[in-house]
Amino acid sequence: MVNLTVDNKQVTVPKDATIYDAAKSAGIKIPILCHDKKLHPFGGCRMCLVEVEQMKGRLIPACTTPVTEGMIVRTSNDEIIKARKLVLELLLLKHPIDCPVCDAAGDCDLQNLTYEYKVNCNQFVDEKFNHEIDYVNPIIERDMNRCILCGKCARICDEIVSYGAYSVINRGLEAKIGTEFDGPLNCEFCGSCVSVCPVGALISRPFKFQARWWALSKVKTVCSYCGTGCQLTLGCKDNKVLTTVYDEDQGFHNGQLCHRGRFAYQFVNSDKRLTTPLIRKNGKLVESSWDEALALVTERLAAAKAAPASLAALSTAHLTNEELFLFEKLFRGTLGSDNIDHSAGFAHAALTEGLKASFGTVASPSEILDVQKTNLLLVIKTDAYETHPVIGFEINLGVKRKGVDLRIVSDKRGKLGKLPGAQTTVHTPGSEILLLNALAKVIVDAGLADAAAPGLAELKAALAEVSVEKAAAATGVSADEITKLAKDYAAAEKALILLPIGLGYPGHNAALAQACANLAILTGKYGKEGSGLLVMGEKNNSQGAADLGIHPKGSGLNGSAIIDACVSGQVKTLFVAGENPVVSYPNRAKVEKALDAVEFLVVADLFLTETAQLADVVLPAVSFAEKSGTFTSVGRKVQQVKQAVKPVGLAKSDFDILNTLNASLGGQTYANQNELFAEIAASVPAYAGLSQTALGDEGKLLPVAPSAKLVPVAAPASAPVAGKLALVTGSALYHSGTMSRFGEGPMLVCPNAYAELSAADAKVLKIEDGDAITVKSETGSVSVTAKVGYRMPQGVVFAPYHFGEGSINAVTDGKPVTWVTVGK
Amino acid sequence: MIMPLLKGLQITFSHMFKKPVTLQYPTERPAIKPNFRGLHVLNVSHDRAKCVACYLCPTVCPAKCITVEAGEDAKHDKFAAKYEIDMLRCIFCGYCVEACPVDAIRMSETFELANYTRGDFTFTKERLLEKK
Ligand code: SF4
Ligand code: SF4
Ligand code: SF4
Ligand code: SF4
Ligand code: SF4
Ligand code: FES
Repeated sequence: MVNLTVDNKQVTVPKDATIYDAAKSAGIKIPILCHDKKLHPFGGCRMCLVEVEQMKGRLIPACTTPVTEGMIVRTSNDEIIKARKLVLELLLLKHPIDCPVCDAAGDCDLQNLTYEYKVNCNQFVDEKFNHEIDYVNPIIERDMNRCILCGKCARICDEIVSYGAYSVINRGLEAKIGTEFDGPLNCEFCGSCVSVCPVGALISRPFKFQARWWALSKVKTVCSYCGTGCQLTLGCKDNKVLTTVYDEDQGFHNGQLCHRGRFAYQFVNSDKRLTTPLIRKNGKLVESSWDEALALVTERLAAAKAAPASLAALSTAHLTNEELFLFEKLFRGTLGSDNIDHSAGFAHAALTEGLKASFGTVASPSEILDVQKTNLLLVIKTDAYETHPVIGFEINLGVKRKGVDLRIVSDKRGKLGKLPGAQTTVHTPGSEILLLNALAKVIVDAGLADAAAPGLAELKAALAEVSVEKAAAATGVSADEITKLAKDYAAAEKALILLPIGLGYPGHNAALAQACANLAILTGKYGKEGSGLLVMGEKNNSQGAADLGIHPKGSGLNGSAIIDACVSGQVKTLFVAGENPVVSYPNRAKVEKALDAVEFLVVADLFLTETAQLADVVLPAVSFAEKSGTFTSVGRKVQQVKQAVKPVGLAKSDFDILNTLNASLGGQTYANQNELFAEIAASVPAYAGLSQTALGDEGKLLPVAPSAKLVPVAAPASAPVAGKLALVTGSALYHSGTMSRFGEGPMLVCPNAYAELSAADAKVLKIEDGDAITVKSETGSVSVTAKVGYRMPQGVVFAPYHFGEGSINAVTDGKPVTWVTVGK
Repeated sequence: MIMPLLKGLQITFSHMFKKPVTLQYPTERPAIKPNFRGLHVLNVSHDRAKCVACYLCPTVCPAKCITVEAGEDAKHDKFAAKYEIDMLRCIFCGYCVEACPVDAIRMSETFELANYTRGDFTFTKERLLEKK
């Protein structure tokens, strides 16, 4: 610690602090333009000049100068003010000062400082800039005339996003922020650069001109797309969510969001939202009243109560914990059916069955912050970046700032593999478990296993059949590479495994999670900071759904089995809360057949989705912005969702819908969703003692007490089929689940279903990028757009699963790999 | 008893032959002072309203009676797609004029604003545009 004096105040700060940090900790504000706490010190704007007694004679930039013992700092005097005014005058000299039409006005650092320092005239005269404005890309408008060259956009895109879209080009007065060949911007469109731009040089096009910053009411809540659980602030006006507002102090991610979080909020006020209940009459869905719709649903559910096996319910993991809990109470409790599930049954099995067996809990024994604290990070599938982009930023930071050794085991290459020092082990599709078993085998054979690991004998026995050479042949990874990876993993002081799971990854099941867990348990790398296994649920509340047991507990049917039972006629009444199985569950034709066959189908959703179109009753539900409750993130953080706007039309929250149904079917009535949280806290051990109010803005980390056990897993046999390509599915970076299709940003940059294939395959099949192609399997066929790129190994095709039109589940059937033919 | 009554009548009668003190509105029109704040007018320049929809006047308006909605034109510039004043709520303070950074709004000499229905007091952009 270092002691110094700032404006006569005694301050003690860590020795790596800067003068700016020291002043901040004493509550003294030093003006900044180019500094950002998330980025490396830059020192480009000279707005933060201060005087240091020991370095008299010149002014010192506070943001880059480290503190020294006994330093005496003055943050304001006449000379300093004069110097800062000069900086502002020079910045304003070529700046267009078009505040009336600039979206940054009101939230512009340059405007605020100009006002604060009373810069109302300029001693210099010069012409204004005349740069061309980039209106080409649909997301970010770049007006370099307004740019003050603080470099924050280029730095954040490089340091945190690791995309590197910008750099300063030209020199002196000609200098400007340029893109590749100074052309239009084409990037990940995460919007990080927009959020840190201190002026209006970078603005969000979906929000352009819609409202002034000061007119927005700002509500802190949690993103409703993926399981990362990013905190975000919604900017609302006139009962509409108009934008997301950047707050650098929010969450572990310091306000950083991905494309979905920042640009896909428009689904809340989409004009496609359902505003009234619908009932099927004479084959057509017609508008009805809530009373009529609920009476009908109650009647049918009451009838089904007599034969609970004929009743099933599917929920989405987008619901709040409170709603999921009530969902379970209604269907398992009041109606007595164990046929309840979500995410097709396989997309949560890694947690509910995998971790349950390996660690005795359904939650990961690690948290998100471990990503930067580890020494070696083993990522199963490069898709972890696409499924959870903000965890991807943590990986970027870990590798680039903390020297984390990044290893990726994947069936394709991807962005993560481009990080400095990252090594991607590309294996044949579907051979993950075999590869992980081989790694375990190497560890055991090399005597690196923890002798006290529970279940070691059984695992050793099971591994006896595994041969590294055979595994090498089957996985396409050399035995040397397997050995090296295993030894590096075992040798690392701290190692963390990341495993994304979700509807697009049927192979990421219980067995794979156990195979991952085995590595961690074998080497004792769990239960300590920076070590362990993080199973990353796809949806915002996947972890909550696992914690609350929204899956069959006894002999009930799981998600996929429910679909089969609908086809066979065993399930006659199906309640679907927010799930869209027609697009997201495997085998679209079968799902459609099942939903046609079922006698009574109720769908509660925001939109008339492909599933809702088949329903007998459709209930309009509300989005995360129209209700309150809690979500639990991948890293076991329970966070509060707060209502920002009133429900659209007559829509009601799933809490209201389930509460009414539960009451009229003889269950308990709850006055509000808080009561349910109290009940969760009383009955779910991990949530014990929590209350919604105590969660605050930061949320609370759930405790986890892993009791580890090695579980031998057999690798499924997967042999290539001659003449066919291996289709693997997953997430696209701009989308999450099927809801992002109702957000503006994702549909502007990635509107259509596509399949990605290697240049080599494309050449053989005479397919070019952008061609319409047909992908055909035993299950069915679908037409999508071809994308030819460097990522895919020869013989492998990748397709994201989010799209309704050209939905890839027309050809898949729940297997990790689908063998397909591709043609024009 | 009768005297005060007669006295009163006398005053009344005497006024019949005096010059009237008040302005004989509507036959006589008042002379309007330069700083008078009457009905708003949106200034026009180059055949379009000067207003750039900066939202400053709705922000400053103490009566909260201005509604502005910005639009983006073909050249990506900002313009007022909607500009509306609810005259029933306006207190004619003139702050909107003062706030405007581009001299897009002024207050005219028009003060005869009486009308028959509430709707008639909603002054849309078309009604407010300066007539040349
Ligand atoms: S949007 Fe994201 S990826 Fe694109 S330039 Fe900005 S920071 Fe970089
Ligand atoms: S565009 Fe914005 S963030 Fe980037 S250098 Fe210019 S002012 Fe800074
Ligand atoms: S989608 Fe996931 S990573 Fe992106 S902002 Fe939302 S929670 Fe964060
Ligand atoms: S005159 Fe005053 S009250 Fe009337 S619109 Fe202008 S600011 Fe509002
Ligand atoms: S202040 Fe002037 S430019 Fe701004 S919205 Fe009002 S009239 Fe238009
Ligand atoms: S903020 Fe310190 S130099 Fe820019």
